[in-house]
Parts: sequence; C-alpha cells; structure tokens
Amino acid sequence: MNRKKFIQKSSLALGGSIVAPYLLPSGRLFAKTGSVKADHVVLVMFAGGVRQQESILGRYLEDSQGVLGAAGNIMPNLFEGNAPTKKIVYGTSIAGLPNGSEPIPKLLTQSMENSGVLFPELRALSAGHYVGLSTLLTGNTGTAQGLRVRPRYPTIFEYLRKHAGFKATDTWFIGNGIGNSTPLLNSSNHPDYGLQYGANMFAAPVTFSASGREVLGNSKTYTRADLEPMYYIKNFLDNSFSLSKDQIASVSNTDEERTQIKDFIKSVFAKQQAGQLAMPPVLDNGDAINVMYAAEVLREFKPKILAVNISSVDGCHSNFTGYLQSLHRADHITGWLWQHIQNNIPEMSGNTIMIVAPECGRNEKPNPILDQNDWLAFDHSDKNALRVWSLMLGKGVYRQRVGSEAKPIGRLTDIAPTIADIFGVLDPVMQSGLLDPLAKSQFLQL
Amino acid sequence: MHNSIKQFALFVLLTSALLGACKKEQTIVFGVNNMGISEDKSNKTKKKNGAEYISILYTNLYQKAISPNQLYKTQNVLYSIGDQDVANEMLLSNYFNTGSIIMPSNAIMRSDIDAFVVNTFKRFYLRYPSEGEKAFLKQYISKSNAVSVEMVYTAFATSKEYQYY
Repeated sequence: MNRKKFIQKSSLALGGSIVAPYLLPSGRLFAKTGSVKADHVVLVMFAGGVRQQESILGRYLEDSQGVLGAAGNIMPNLFEGNAPTKKIVYGTSIAGLPNGSEPIPKLLTQSMENSGVLFPELRALSAGHYVGLSTLLTGNTGTAQGLRVRPRYPTIFEYLRKHAGFKATDTWFIGNGIGNSTPLLNSSNHPDYGLQYGANMFAAPVTFSASGREVLGNSKTYTRADLEPMYYIKNFLDNSFSLSKDQIASVSNTDEERTQIKDFIKSVFAKQQAGQLAMPPVLDNGDAINVMYAAEVLREFKPKILAVNISSVDGCHSNFTGYLQSLHRADHITGWLWQHIQNNIPEMSGNTIMIVAPECGRNEKPNPILDQNDWLAFDHSDKNALRVWSLMLGKGVYRQRVGSEAKPIGRLTDIAPTIADIFGVLDPVMQSGLLDPLAKSQFLQL
Repeated sequence: MHNSIKQFALFVLLTSALLGACKKEQTIVFGVNNMGISEDKSNKTKKKNGAEYISILYTNLYQKAISPNQLYKTQNVLYSIGDQDVANEMLLSNYFNTGSIIMPSNAIMRSDIDAFVVNTFKRFYLRYPSEGEKAFLKQYISKSNAVSVEMVYTAFATSKEYQYY
C-alpha cells in the first residue's frame, strides 16, 4: 500500500469511528452526557391526593374543620413543625385511651425538609390519580391519558433502560394493588420505548398475599442447572415464533434475572413464614405493607431506580379522620424506608437519592360527607388540588427551600427529568421531545 | 363451389386436430408414499387473556377444569407480577409440585422421543412440529440427560406461541 492510499484509508476509518454510533458494553448506543450524581434513586409516589393544608402547611384541623388552635404538623419525618396539641386522632390506639390518640414516634433524627431540597409549592398537572402518577413517572402532562391503558409517553424506567443502559432488574415499580391502572405504570405503550424497556413490577400486596402464597409459594426450587434445558428449549421455541414489538406483553428479563426474581419471591414467602421481614414499627395499613416489600426488593436487587406507590390517604373522599391517620402513617413509612436504606443496605447507603412527591392535591372546600368525628371529607377536583410539594434528599443534596406559597416554583413534570439528571442522561431524555416542554430538572432550579 | 371445398377442408382439418389432441391419460407413479398433510407452521395471531391462559393450561395439565375461585385468585396473582414469564414459570412449578399433573414419565419420553415430541406439540400448540423442530428437539433430548418432561412442558407452557391461539 502506498503512502497516499494509506493516509486515505486511515482517514476514512478514523472518520467512520467518530461518526458512526457504536454499542457500548452496557448495550447503550450513545454515551451518557452528564455526570452521575448518585447510583440509586428511590421515588416515593406519595399518592392518594394530599392537601397542602394538612401536609406541608401543618394546619391539621384548623383550616379543614375550622377547629381553632388545632394546627400542627402530623408529618414529623418529612417536615419541620410542632405537632398539634388538640384533638389528636391521627396516631395509634392504645387500650383505655381515645382512638388514634398516640402519635407514632418520629424515626428520623432530622426531618427530610431539614436534610434536603424542598419545593414547597409545586404545580400538579392534573387533579386525578392516574394522570398524576403518570406525570410523576413520564414527565409529561398526561393530556388525553386514558384509564386502564399504559401511559402514552415513556416512563423514566424506559428512558433509563434505553439511554443509561440499565438492565430490567435495575428498575422496579412497586404498586400498591392491581386495581385501576396501577399495574400498568411500569412501562408506556410508546412505539419507541414500551415494555421492552419497562421496569420490573410487583403489586406487592397481591403478589405476596395469601393467594400469592397459594398460587406461587409451593413452587419447586430448581437449580440453575435444572433450568438450563428449559430455557434452552424455550428460547428455541420463541425464536420460531417471533413477536412484533407491539405484541410484546411482558418485561424482558434475561434468564438469569428471571431466576433471581423467582428465587426472591420464594425467599419472601419463606421470610413471611419465619416472621423475618423487615417492617416499619407501625404496620397497620396497605401502604406500610407495600413499603415493607419495596424494602425487600431494595435489599435483594439494589436497583438503580425503584418507585413505590402508596395511596391510603385517598380515603379522604369519605373519612377525614382516616385520611389524617393515613397521612401520619405515610410519613412514618417514608421515614422508615429512608432509615432502612441507610442502616441495612450498605450498597445503597450514602449513595442514594430519595424523592418524595404526591401525585395531586385535594380540594379547598369539603364535600358534605361527615365521618365518625363529624369532620367533613374532601375530594380532588379544584385549583387547590393542583397544589403539591416535593422533597429530595440524599447523596450530594443539600438543604434548600425553592419557592414558597406566594411564589410557586416547579411542576410535577420536573420529577422525571430530575431523575434523568441524577443518572447523567438528562440531555437524551429531554431531546426525545416527549416530556412536558416546561419540565426542568430540579437541579437546574436550585 | 370453391367455398364448399374450403369449408370441407377446414372441417377435416379441425376434426383431425381435435382427434389428434385426445390422448389416453397415463398414470405416473413416482414411488412416494401417501401422507396426510397438515400445517406445520403456527398461524396464531390472537393473544390469550389471563383467564384463558390459566384455564387452558390447567385443563391441559390436569385434564379437568379449574374452579372459578382458583382461576380468579391465580389471575390476580399473575397480573401482579411485571414479568409474565416469571409468573407463569412459578405457577407451573407450583403445579408440578402437586404431583397430580397428567404427563408421561421421563422413561416413556426417552423410549420414543419422536412420539413424545409430536405429542407435546399437539398437546400444547395444537399442531404438528416442523421437521426442523422435530429434529432439533429429538437431538437435544437424546443428547442431554438433564432434559426432563417437566422442563420440556415448562418450556412449552411458558413459550410465546402458547400465549397465542
């Protein structure tokens, strides 16, 4: 080869290697674009419809029921503020004392508000649950989002699997039931993303229920060697029956990941029997049970991202006392989960960011339904139901308050890009053009 | 006069051409055996819903119908798991642990692998295997002692094709 040809060929090769995209070992097509702020994110979807007044504003019964002198903070793990001193009904019940009169002791030495970033007045994009939950996960406003269908726009799980190269067991959605559209939140039906990039999911209170134990709990423990021929034959059969992308109906784990998930399910049933599950000190509602199983998933998989949904506060449609109790417990279990990560999962301790945000608020004015204390209930449909807050704490996140009641800053669609930012893939996610155009990473608003 | 001769000549020509075209049919035999013809490739386009999948699977394995209560519980539990392969594999494993599934023994499988493969395709896919499928499975089963009927059934019951009809 003469010198001229050599220079021509090597120039072409160099140019091609720069221009052409290539597969990284992780399976990604493109390199990450930003720095990684933490290795793990836990998103607590503090759902069910939370009024600003009883949560961040600490008004307890003063605004909602007009009980003078009955203001106070019933969410001590999340927010600062003294507890109410009048008409205490939100705690646990002790024999001989009025129901709910014993508040649950605070778990965290320092409230999340004092440890991280608080956006006290965020704008929700919908007063409905499912659109609100979709908004949290997709960063899109969810306009025209139907019920009982997957989100129309990609979820943060799909963005992360596609752009950050996460495997399926790196991404988890822990739903609190199979009702409504909850089990559909682990993936969108967007043609460029979809289930092939979806997160693993448990509707944990169902998976690990008595029925779950009956249906799954007696399964055999196969060794990996036992399973090898099964997967070999199955993969052969599946290759002869290829599905188009829109026919894929399940998350795609590798054979090893599937085996790990099956072993995990069995181990949870075994722990249930042996009474060895780590659990919040007060475990008396579905939210607490769901968070308990979320902690098990964290311990086993150390996922990059886990989103857990809670929603007991939605009882506020007809029972205000129950709502207060659920709100107090939601604070308790969120604090417990954070504490559990720090104390019991060394791989995630000090290397995790937790984000907490409701999916929507609740009305300013009550409906006419009275509960056992003659307190009025609240629905979610008015302007007040678009008022929410968010908290973020953990690795590299310092105490800051952004915005105020008088000067709201941020939108609920900011959560998804914030998570993308944490994992260093904000640019490709924003460039997908599929998020709310006004959505912005919270890190860019500090 | 000229016309009559022309017409007569044309008639003779056409008649002889017609007669000449008739030939006694010959029976040609190539020495190929007669065979029943069936579609060897699946043409399934409709996905079974959760209840259909569970109900068909249960009936297939136990040769009796699942109770409505059991069906309801199973459907909910499977729906609560994101990876349906995981859910289905665990369900099957649970069924196999009951010991009352109606299936051939490993010895029967190995005594006539051809028949086992064909019967398994018919049982799960409601079709005959293609020659390629048959050859692959026959070779794999005969070469690997680790292959059991349970594993073959699990592979078929959790395969994509079994999710469709």
